[in-house]
Amino acid sequence: MAELLVQQLVNWITLGCIYALLAIGFSLIFGVLNVIHFSHGDVAMTAPFISLAMAQLLATAVGVSGPVWLIIAVLAAVLAVGIIGIVLDKVVIRRFRDAPAMMALVATVALGIVIRELIRHLYPQGSNPHAFPRLVSGVAFDVGTVPISWFALLVVLLTTALVALLFFFLKMTPLGLRIRAASEDRVVARMMGIRDTRVFRATFFIASAIGAIAGLLFASYAGVTRFDFGVMAGLLGFSAAVIGGLGSMPGAILGGLIIAGIEVLAQTFVPDGASYRLVFVFLLVIVVLIFRPAGLLGRPVMEKV
Amino acid sequence: MHAPASSAAPGIGQAIAFTVLSQLAGAAFLYFVLKAEGGWQIVGLLALLGAGFYLLERLPWITDYAMASMARVPLVTLATAAVVVLGFPFVVGSNTYVLHLLIVAQLYAVLALALNFQLGSANIPNFATGASYGIGAYVSALLAINFGLSFWLTLPLAALAATLFGFVIGIPSMRTRDTYLALVTIAFGVVVQQLLNNFDWTGGPNGLVGIPAPSLFGHSFADPLVVFGWKLPSQANFYYLSAALVVVAIITAHRLHGSRIGLAWNALRADEIAAKAQGINVAWYKVLAFAVDAFLAAFAGTIYAFYVSYISPDNFTFLVSVTIMTMVIVGGMDNIFGVIVGAFLLTILPEKLRAFADYRLLFFGVVIIGFLMIRPQGLFPQRMRRYGGEP
Repeated sequence: MAELLVQQLVNWITLGCIYALLAIGFSLIFGVLNVIHFSHGDVAMTAPFISLAMAQLLATAVGVSGPVWLIIAVLAAVLAVGIIGIVLDKVVIRRFRDAPAMMALVATVALGIVIRELIRHLYPQGSNPHAFPRLVSGVAFDVGTVPISWFALLVVLLTTALVALLFFFLKMTPLGLRIRAASEDRVVARMMGIRDTRVFRATFFIASAIGAIAGLLFASYAGVTRFDFGVMAGLLGFSAAVIGGLGSMPGAILGGLIIAGIEVLAQTFVPDGASYRLVFVFLLVIVVLIFRPAGLLGRPVMEKV
Repeated sequence: MHAPASSAAPGIGQAIAFTVLSQLAGAAFLYFVLKAEGGWQIVGLLALLGAGFYLLERLPWITDYAMASMARVPLVTLATAAVVVLGFPFVVGSNTYVLHLLIVAQLYAVLALALNFQLGSANIPNFATGASYGIGAYVSALLAINFGLSFWLTLPLAALAATLFGFVIGIPSMRTRDTYLALVTIAFGVVVQQLLNNFDWTGGPNGLVGIPAPSLFGHSFADPLVVFGWKLPSQANFYYLSAALVVVAIITAHRLHGSRIGLAWNALRADEIAAKAQGINVAWYKVLAFAVDAFLAAFAGTIYAFYVSYISPDNFTFLVSVTIMTMVIVGGMDNIFGVIVGAFLLTILPEKLRAFADYRLLFFGVVIIGFLMIRPQGLFPQRMRRYGGEP
């Protein structure tokens, strides 16, 4: 029993970190643009494909492969996805920032379709699932008799580092200050001489790059990637961001951990729980939003008269 | 510029000519779109459609003129519409594929009209219309398969079940709003779809097979329809059935729009607090919008289940709900005619894009995004309410 508990604890934290990274992207973009970027999950899930293509390109063109080149491919994918985020913002999403919320939601759902279809057509045999390697393999150490993999350790350390970096960036750097100002009130921020185009560009780059890391970890955790993984990744990340409270970074992390927690609990303790896991996740979402309509750590909506 | 004076009051002869000709032209256009094959024909027809909407955008008096003429001779308008709808299968003849497209388009028109009560009239997002549609389909199919109930009995029972579901989703709507409410409805939609996918008694991912065809006065809907010696394929039965449902939905929508309930929904959309201050029971009207949506969606679901005689959870996913949302937004919020046009356009377009084979979904996504960027108010935006007197 104790072994099972430790094992599931590790699973929970690994999955929770991945969802938290996805949720941070949703929350960041919503905080600044007031737009739900529903295709964020799809953007994130382009990263595994880009890195696979990159690794293959390096292997055939330069004739080298190995762990160093895998890291280069992964870094290139993160960078590329960050740039994809900027382009999508410039071409599509920015135009909906003042539109009714539902219009932006529908437009970005359509954008998600476009991204998925592009992956399917541009990547060789894109309709099929593709194996994705564990970024690191092997066992780091044992807790009792339970082996803790390097991968789980990597996920936790990477997430902690990214979150710390993001907090430092948002609180300590001038650009971070501008992002927070724009997220507080875009009009006043503009009056204070903050160029919002730069803020949007930075926000989308950061959110998409963090999403790309989440996408890579997700594919690595599942051991496989497919063009339509983005739908579920997006839905779960969005749910995590919303139940945490949109626009709140600690909320996004909390939301990610809660969603992963209920998923792991359902799989472990409920008979046949694996097939019902989404039912449990979304029932929890409903219950949380009934009792905390603005999310757990969200700013409650004030009714102005 | 056409003299605005005539647009204000078209003569009776002019009005009759305009309403008849415009409806026939619309029907002819639909016919050509349905018949079109091959990439260039489709692109050409789409360009024609785009040009038409561009004209409407540049010359707004055309819409006013059309509305005025139809209001002038309402009986002629209705008669022409009836002739067009009733006669369409005869023109199409034995082409069952075209009839199938029309049936699906009509069912989606009903779903879009159902959602329009919420999204259009009251601006409440609902991503669970697909779930209500699914509940309607499953309840009626299960009743028909397990208890041998006839189609006509399952119809109200399915609607009742879905309406209860509508009330259940409506209750959290009293507390959450906007994006948070959108997520609650998405969650309900996913939960329903996942349960249908996992329960044994719903057939799991395989769904339900062998739903018997309905019959009316001894005429089975699986048999070809014979009218005055004309023999129409069996799909024609369902064509007329779904057309009848569209008519019911239009009448419901029209009556609700004109009633105090429709006005209360519009008030909610304009300003919730102001509506509350006027003594409107905001919570009740929100829940009511959910219930009405679910009720109509269940009707569409029942007809769908009996028409294809096979349903599976894949027919009622989150993406179906998104498609219905898109129909309402593309057609024009709170505009009955626009919503129907949106539903037809978004049902027929992806089918016709089969000419682009594997790229059709890609093309579809691009069209929707482009559309929302170019014409965010929808094809036919909401018109001002008119109160009595001369227009």
